[in-house]
Amino acid sequence: MLGELLNPYHLQIASFIMINIILGISIYITLSSGQLSLGNAGFMGIGAYTSALLTIHFELPIFIGVILGALVAGIFGILIGIPALRLSGVYLAIATLGFGEVIRVIFVNWESVTQGAVGLSGVPHLGRELFKTVTAMGFEPEMLGLRNNQVVYLMVLTLLVVINILLIWFFIRQNKSRVGRAFAAIKMDEKAAESMGINITYYKVLSFTQGALLAGFAGALYAHVMAYISPADFAYHRAIEILIFSVFGGSEVIWGAIFGATFMTILPEALRVISEYRYMIYGVILILMMAFRPQGIIDVSLLKWIKNMIKSRRRTDHGTGTKKHN
Amino acid sequence: MLKVKGIETFYGKIQALKGVSLEVEQGQVVTLLGANGAGKSTTMKTISGLLKPKHGTVEFLGENITGLRPDQLLRKGIALVPEGRAILSTMTVMENLEMGAYHRSDKNIKKDIEEVMEQFPILKERSEQLGGTLSGGQQQMLAIARALLSKPKLLLLDEPSMGLAPLIVADIFKMIREIKAAGTTVLLVEQNAKQALKVADYGYVMETGKVIINGEAKDLLEDARIVEAYLGKKSS
Repeated sequence: MLGELLNPYHLQIASFIMINIILGISIYITLSSGQLSLGNAGFMGIGAYTSALLTIHFELPIFIGVILGALVAGIFGILIGIPALRLSGVYLAIATLGFGEVIRVIFVNWESVTQGAVGLSGVPHLGRELFKTVTAMGFEPEMLGLRNNQVVYLMVLTLLVVINILLIWFFIRQNKSRVGRAFAAIKMDEKAAESMGINITYYKVLSFTQGALLAGFAGALYAHVMAYISPADFAYHRAIEILIFSVFGGSEVIWGAIFGATFMTILPEALRVISEYRYMIYGVILILMMAFRPQGIIDVSLLKWIKNMIKSRRRTDHGTGTKKHN
Repeated sequence: MLKVKGIETFYGKIQALKGVSLEVEQGQVVTLLGANGAGKSTTMKTISGLLKPKHGTVEFLGENITGLRPDQLLRKGIALVPEGRAILSTMTVMENLEMGAYHRSDKNIKKDIEEVMEQFPILKERSEQLGGTLSGGQQQMLAIARALLSKPKLLLLDEPSMGLAPLIVADIFKMIREIKAAGTTVLLVEQNAKQALKVADYGYVMETGKVIINGEAKDLLEDARIVEAYLGKKSS
């Protein structure tokens, strides 16, 4: 039965995967123009606090809060992005990491608004708000043979999946467009890109801002999926975690960030049975990765190989019709 | 066409250019010569907007373009091929060429790419290969061909023969001759004085941040001072 298969705990993990994929894409986008930003945890926090505060105090609908959260993070992205452009490589990484810490410390100390280290509770829950809306429209969970909380988490997950599909579609399109070409050229060689007529300042700020916007968006969604946020959620270990999504999965292609976010979210949960050792295994995997596949699991040549496999399989299927049973 | 008037450029407190003036006429190949540290590259960087002069101006077709960025210059019709063959190493040769036409939006891009490939057949042969896998000379050709696809009025070449084998250098200069024949104006910064003067109409020689000699290229080839300093005695 459908009702027995849908475990709210698993649905919640799947929702986290979706949010982490957005975070993975956010760092992939800045990396795709050759900039390493570790400020995405900070932008995520800005998005989360903005949306949470607006929905708590002004009773704005969640979707408006989320959009505003993303926009505010995006504006911070522009403000940070312009001066940060003077830096590159490891210097940019450290400066953006510093930015993230500043943001976190502001959340901790601005107690009258953020309630400090205790965090904000009572953030409107995305699932329960959606649930209210659909039940008001006359929907009953029993119609599908489901319990209330199953429906709640299922709706959240469905919404996040749709959002992710749209985002991934958009960024794949962008990669193939003029903007994507400009990012790629800047990543390969700034001097060359400039000499081809690419305004590198504009495109670098654009990619930095897109990253900030996405991180803020993910943060706002996170706030409404958790219904509780605290400054510790956006500390530097989050920044590193986001970086690992992309580096582990492969930072050359968007699928790398998607795969990395998925794998790295499932791994600690799958290893729960051996709880004391799970972060050790996490660490060992990272070390092995860097030693044997520094470009990440998914890279351009792997994608090409997969494409060719699919093509040749199709060809043999059509040609002989004998492989169907394999 | 291009007029550089008394530019003085500094690296911090150190003055690298002490009032450099030069002119490039339409349809000419003008070369800027000099030893290491003479200020050739600094001049090029000042013209292409990578450095800003403290004094002096750069004019192009009567318009002041001092300090404009390379991407802005490209829109005005000045294409730069930076020093050290800046090609996009993980894009294919074809993609590199397409990037050369990045700022254009007309319908002739495909046709122009075809033409450039006809002109430089090695690029056609290697069109699906990644830029980074080409040899040094081929990369330089690709960089120049890519710059041509922006349809520049003026092409700035910064030491195109640097680090290339003599045979390949000859190919590069042949390419410059073809570019000139096609009507594009070229400002060529070079260390290889002999080859550069053979292809150029006019030449400037720099030393310690100043232009010390200038004149028709064929006269410079004969000039005793240049023969001694750059060409080696009794050049053939």
